[in-house]
Amino acid sequence: MTGVKTYNRKKMLVLFCMILAVAMFLIGRLGYIMIGQGEYYSGKAQALHERERAIKAPRGRIYDRNGVVLAGNRPVCTISVIHSQITDPEQVIQVLSSELGLPEETIRSRVEKVSARERVRSNVDKAVADRIRSYHLDGVMVDEDYRRYYPFDDMASKVLGFTGADNQGIVGLEVEYDSVLQGQDGYILTVTDANGIELANTAESRKEPIAGNDLYTTLDANIQSYVQQEAEKALIAKEAIGVSIIVMNPQNGEIYAMVNAPEYNLNDPFTLNTDAVYETEQERQDALNQMWRNFCINDTYEPGSIFKVVTATAALEKGVVTLEDTFVCPGYRIVGDRTIRCHKTTGHGVETFRQGIMNSCNPVFMDVGLRVGTTDMYHTYEQLGLMSRTGIDLPGEANSIMHPQEEVKEVDLAIMSFGQSFQITPIQLITAVSAAVNGGNLVTPHFGMYTTDTDGNPLETFEYPIETGVISAETSATMRGLLEAVVAEGGGSRGQVEGYRIAGKTATSEKLPRGNGKYIAAFVGMAPADNPQVITLVLINEPTGIYYGGTIAAPVAKRIYENILPYLGLEPTYEAEEPQNEAGE
Amino acid sequence: MREEQQDNQNQIKRSKVRIWSQGEYFDYSLLFIILFLVGFGLIMVYSTSSYTASLDYGDAAYFFKRQAVFAALGIVSMLFISRLDYHILKRFTVLAFIGIGILTVAVLIVGSAGGGSTRWLEIGPVRFQPSELAKMAIIMYVAHATTNQVWKLNDWKVLVKIMVPPIILTAFIAIENLSTAIICGVIIVAILFVASPRYSHFVVIALIGCIGGALFILTAGYRSERIDAWLNLETHPKGYQTLQALYAIGSGGIWGKGLGQSIQKMDFIPEAHNDMIFSVICEELGIVGGVSLILLFIILIWRLMAIVMNARDLYGALLVVGVLAHVAVQVLINIAVVTNTMPNTGIPLPFISYGGTSLVFLLVEMGIVLSVARQIKIRK
Repeated sequence: MTGVKTYNRKKMLVLFCMILAVAMFLIGRLGYIMIGQGEYYSGKAQALHERERAIKAPRGRIYDRNGVVLAGNRPVCTISVIHSQITDPEQVIQVLSSELGLPEETIRSRVEKVSARERVRSNVDKAVADRIRSYHLDGVMVDEDYRRYYPFDDMASKVLGFTGADNQGIVGLEVEYDSVLQGQDGYILTVTDANGIELANTAESRKEPIAGNDLYTTLDANIQSYVQQEAEKALIAKEAIGVSIIVMNPQNGEIYAMVNAPEYNLNDPFTLNTDAVYETEQERQDALNQMWRNFCINDTYEPGSIFKVVTATAALEKGVVTLEDTFVCPGYRIVGDRTIRCHKTTGHGVETFRQGIMNSCNPVFMDVGLRVGTTDMYHTYEQLGLMSRTGIDLPGEANSIMHPQEEVKEVDLAIMSFGQSFQITPIQLITAVSAAVNGGNLVTPHFGMYTTDTDGNPLETFEYPIETGVISAETSATMRGLLEAVVAEGGGSRGQVEGYRIAGKTATSEKLPRGNGKYIAAFVGMAPADNPQVITLVLINEPTGIYYGGTIAAPVAKRIYENILPYLGLEPTYEAEEPQNEAGE
Repeated sequence: MREEQQDNQNQIKRSKVRIWSQGEYFDYSLLFIILFLVGFGLIMVYSTSSYTASLDYGDAAYFFKRQAVFAALGIVSMLFISRLDYHILKRFTVLAFIGIGILTVAVLIVGSAGGGSTRWLEIGPVRFQPSELAKMAIIMYVAHATTNQVWKLNDWKVLVKIMVPPIILTAFIAIENLSTAIICGVIIVAILFVASPRYSHFVVIALIGCIGGALFILTAGYRSERIDAWLNLETHPKGYQTLQALYAIGSGGIWGKGLGQSIQKMDFIPEAHNDMIFSVICEELGIVGGVSLILLFIILIWRLMAIVMNARDLYGALLVVGVLAHVAVQVLINIAVVTNTMPNTGIPLPFISYGGTSLVFLLVEMGIVLSVARQIKIRK
C-alpha cells in the first residue's frame, strides 16, 4: 500500500495556498463592489425597483378683482394600462375603445405594448373615467388629474392665455405668472418587482403635491364682458378686422378690461376662430399665432391725432404756447419743401390753440411742434414713457418705433406732431395719455394685483412703479381742460355721456402704405374729466364705410361709459340740460 | 488443476476488500461544516425562490421542498458511504468511468434541452445531469490510476498516459458544458499535481491548458459572446443576469438588508436560487455574510487538506484531493462569475445553489471523504 509522502503534503499545501490566494482576491473584489461601488450599484438597483407615480398639483386659479374665477381647474382623468397586470386583453380593448371612442387598433397597440405603463388617453372626462373604473378591469389604471378650465370661454382670451397639455402656461398671464400658478407635483414612490407589480410591505414614500397659488387680477369680469360685447358689436357693425379696447384706471395703471375682438375660446385654443382653410400646417400655425396675439401690447401702429395730446403736453410744459395763442390754418402748411395738408382741406381759418386741439387741426400742431423743437419733444416722449416698454405684466410687449433723435428733420418733427411717421403700441399710448391727465404721473399698466394660497390667505401684493411728476401738475390740469373741451365742444362730441364730464381725443390713422384706404379709427376718453378715474382707448381696425374715430370709435366709448361709470360708483355730476355744440372733426 | 484453483482462491483472498470500514476516527468538525452549509443553503434557497415560486407555482416552498428532499437523500447517502471502506471504489472505477463515458455521449445525442445547452438526461422519472456523475468518475479514475503508477510519475509519458482517458471524457463534456469540463480538467491536474514529485510538468500543463482554453473559447460563438458581455456588462444584452447580480451585491452594504429582504430576487435576477444565489446572500446578509460564507468554504477546504495530509494511504488522499479541487474550483468560479470577475459560466455554488443532482453527488463525495477520514490512524 502506498502511503502519503512528504512531497505530497507539501504540494497539497501549495494547492491550498493557491486556492486561498484566489479566495482572498475574490474577497477583495467583493469588498470593492460592496463598499467601493456600493453606492453606484445600490443607486442603480433602487432606480430599477422604484416606480414614481406623479401626483399632479392643481394649478392656481386666476380671479378678477372681485373674486370671479377667470381660469380654474376641472377634474379630468388619465387612463393607462399596465401590460403585466392585464388578465383579459380583449375585454380591456373592447371596453376602452367603446368608452373612449378610440379605434380598436389604437387601443390594441397600447395594450399589447410590453411596457411598465402605457398611457392610453389623458384629459378624459371624469364621468367617462368613473364608468371605466366601474368595470374593475385588471391592469387598467385611472388617475385623476386636473385640466385648465376657463368658465367664460373666450373672455379676455388674449390677456389670460392658456396652458399646454403639461399644465404649463403658453401665452398671456398664464405664462407671465406661471411660477406663481404652477404648483409642485407630488409623487408616490413604490417598490416593484421586475414585472412592475408593486410589492406589499415595502416602505412607500410619498410627497404630497403643493397646489399652485391663486392670482387676483385687476380685471373686472363685468366690465370686461360688457366691453367685449361692445367690441364685438362694433366689429360686426363696422365689418372691421379687429376692435381693441383698453379700460384702465389712469391713476394707478390697473387695467379693468382689455378686449381684442375677435377673441378665441380658451377652452379650445387650437381651433381657429375663422372659417378660413389653410393649406399647410405652417400656415395654420401662423394663423393660430395671429389669433392669440394681443394687439394692445404686441403690435405697434401710428397713433394719429390722439398723439396731439403728447405734442400739446410738450408745448405746454415748455411754455411755447398758451391756450389763447392764435394760429391760421389755410388747410395746409408748407414745412421745408413739403406741403402737408390738414384733414379739413378748406382750412380752419384763424383759431386759438384751444380751438386747434378741439378741431384737431394739423397745421396748428405742426407749428406748435416746431416751436417745441426736437430735443424737448423727445424729452417729453421720454417722460411719457413712449421711448420704452410700459412694463405691463404680459409677455411679448412691443416697443415703439421712433426716428433716432439726431435724424429728425424739421419736416419729420412737423409730421410727428400730429402722430404720424412712427409707431407705438396702444398700451404705450393710453399710458402716455394717462400721465398727461392724471397730474403728471407715469403709471405702469398691469393686471396682477396679489396672490393668495389655495385657502385664500394673501401671499404677495404686487407693487408697480409710478414715476411721479413726469410733467407738471399744472400742465396736466390744462390738458384735462383741453380734452374735456374736445368732447364737450370739439371733435369728440359723440363720446359725451349724459351727466358725466368726459375728456377725450379722437384719431383716424391711415394704415401704411398710405392711400390703401385702410384706417384705424380711435378714441381715447376719460372720466370724470376733472379727476379721471377711468380711461378708455377704443381702436377699430380697418372699419368699412365711415372710418372717422370721432364718428365710430367715440360712440363705443360712450356706450361703455354709460354702463361702467355708474358701476364703478362714479356719480353723475350734473343733470343733462346744457345744450352741446356740434363740431366736425 | 487443484493447485490452480488453490492459487485462484489465494488470489481472491489476497485482494479481498472489506466492505465496512474499520476506522475509529470520525471527522465531526467536517460533518458539522457540511451540515451547516446544507442547512444554510436550504434557508437561502427558500429566501431566494419563495417569491417567484409563489407566483409561478402558487407554493412559496416549492423549490425549498424539492431541495430539502435531495438534501435528506444526500445526507443519508453521505453517512452511509462514510461507513464504507473507500477501497471498494477501486472495483467500480473502470466500470463507472466507461458507464459515464457512454452516458455523456448519450446526453449529447438524446439529452433534452435545458438552460440553452443539452445537459440533462431523462430515464423514466429520473432526470439528472451526467456531468455531475462524470466529476466523481474522474476523481475515482485519476486517483486510482495515479496510485497504481505513482512510482513512475516522474516520467511525463506516464503522466500523459494517465491523463488521456479522463481528458477524452472531459472533451466530450466540453462540447456542451464548458464549465463542467473546466472543473474536470482542474480535478485531473490537481490530483496529479499532489501525487507527482515534479513541478515543471505542471507549468507546461498550465501553459497548454491556457492556450487550448483560449483557442476553444474563440472558436465557439456563444462563448466569445459571453466574453463580450463580460467586458461590456452594462450595455450588452447578455450581461443582464450578471448586472442584476452586481446590483444585488452592491445593495448589500456591510450588514445587508436582512434575511428575506432582497428585492433583486423579485424576478430581477433570473432564477436567483440557482447560480446567482451568492449575490442575494450578499444583498441580504451584506459583506459580513458574503465573506463569512467564503471563509466557511475555506475552512471546509482546510479540513479536507488535513484529511489529505493524514490519510492512511495515497489512494484515499488523492480521492480527497479530487473532491477538494471539485469544491474549491466551483466555489471560486461561482463567486468570480457573480462578481463579474470572469465571464459568465453556469456553475452552481456547492451546497447552497438549488439543484438536486449537484447536491446529492457533492454529499456522496463528502461521504467518501468522511470514509477516508475514518481510516486515519491517530498517532498517540
